[in-house]
Amino acid sequence: MTFALRNLQAAFAAHIMEDNSERLADAVVGDSIAAIARLRVHRHHVFHSLATALASTFATVRTLVGEDFFRTMARAYVARALPAQPVLTEYGMDFPAFVAAYAPAQGLPYLTDIARLDWALNLAFQAPRGAVLGVADLQVIPVEQLPAQRLVLAPGHALVCSPYPIDRIWAAAQPGAGAEALDLESDPAQLLVVPRMDDAAFIAVEAGEAAFLAALADGETLETAAGRGLGADAGFDLSASFARFLSLGLFVALHQESDAEKI
Amino acid sequence: MVVAGIGLRAPHLAEIERTRPATAFLELHAENYLGGSPALEKIERLRRDYVLSVHAVGLSLGSADGMDEAHLGRIAALVERLEPAYVSEHLAWSVTGGRYFNDLLPLPYTEEALDVVATNVQRLQDTLRRPIAVENPSCYLAFTHSTLSEPDFLDAMARRTGCGLLLDVNNVAVTAHNLRLDPAAWLSGLRPEAIVQYHLAGHAVNDADGQPILIDDHGSRVNDAVWGLFAETLRRFGSRPTLLEWDTDIPDLAVLLDEAARADAVIADVAREADDDVRAA
Repeated sequence: MTFALRNLQAAFAAHIMEDNSERLADAVVGDSIAAIARLRVHRHHVFHSLATALASTFATVRTLVGEDFFRTMARAYVARALPAQPVLTEYGMDFPAFVAAYAPAQGLPYLTDIARLDWALNLAFQAPRGAVLGVADLQVIPVEQLPAQRLVLAPGHALVCSPYPIDRIWAAAQPGAGAEALDLESDPAQLLVVPRMDDAAFIAVEAGEAAFLAALADGETLETAAGRGLGADAGFDLSASFARFLSLGLFVALHQESDAEKI
Repeated sequence: MVVAGIGLRAPHLAEIERTRPATAFLELHAENYLGGSPALEKIERLRRDYVLSVHAVGLSLGSADGMDEAHLGRIAALVERLEPAYVSEHLAWSVTGGRYFNDLLPLPYTEEALDVVATNVQRLQDTLRRPIAVENPSCYLAFTHSTLSEPDFLDAMARRTGCGLLLDVNNVAVTAHNLRLDPAAWLSGLRPEAIVQYHLAGHAVNDADGQPILIDDHGSRVNDAVWGLFAETLRRFGSRPTLLEWDTDIPDLAVLLDEAARADAVIADVAREADDDVRAA
């Protein structure tokens, strides 16, 4: 059987994803190794290599559920959502949502949030590092204009919040971690994921800080964000938290509500 | 003379920065450095001391759909930033209908496929404003409607586009075994002037229908049969920059450097044979 190249490639893709092998197998030379067995080499490689890429990105999920469970789950994800482009560190954005809906994982209610944390750490690790705002950049802004400023978070920073103590679960799953008894109902976690010089990490923030940062990330003004922080936690200390975030290099730009000019 | 280089892999990056081992060049996989992470800055610093090769795996030169323009743009930006000595891709396809399969999938060797590949190679070279090298694939199957041999297809592609050939000697051994071809006859189909670089790697032996099938997994040392084929390749075409690749079960850097040193020793041995032949004549 002869295919035009475009049709051949579509048939090959369908074979890999759905194993509707008969038609394509007719176009493949078989001998003591049948055409189907030869095609299976590619089918295996596509699923195996993409599951391996997911295991690298979602390493903590993999550790928590074990290799076999992870591979089965990852292959189910691959079957539903192949990458749209070739950069594998950018593959798996909706894997956490897939984990949330994956019936065999329902016994591990925190797994989705761990997947979100792994993904955020992956993005932070891959993020370009660049110049960030310092105290001196803010000192040139007249005090009365500060409340109207919007702050742009540096690439790779993200908030990951969970009703479960995912920071402690994550730490317990790292190589060399000692056994620790965890009370899953005990501590909700608000984590700020940050790129560092050579890797990425997360730090715990208070509920007020999390609300403040979430508002800034949504493009709200400093004034509105501060209000959200206080709304979440009456003890939210704007100046202390803001100074801390500034020292972490959290912001790359600020601009006023009235004009979009960045400094 | 050191002409062998090594594939640069993330687990070795810190050690290479620290110890600066002697190697002819470092090859990096383009798709691992497109995000602008700090690793790219490290590569830029290594660039002062090492010749670089950028080896892309995801441009899908064989796609009937044409290449993904966004990905092409990212590759072009990386090449512009690193200004590597070599840029290479594969004779294969990995994208259709906007989905990426992360495998170097086989092409039928037809005039139609040649037109597609030549158009994509030309587009890539025009975008990068430089010639690239295209690597022969490792094959696990052949299509019944192919009308050209693989070497003839590669040769025609090189003539039409002016691209070079990256001759992966391990892939020749894998393809020849899996498709019941004679590797020496396969090599005889290429012109020496088209070949710009060699690749060497290990392969695995798997089972398919109770028969051994060779899998190009880059997960072990180069085996003796491939070393033999490499020597034969050198006798036929002469020395070229030669790269040792290792991608799965990545060993200590020292093992990779040792393999590269062996490649240099084989190159030196074959050069000596040639000198002896000249003297004898």
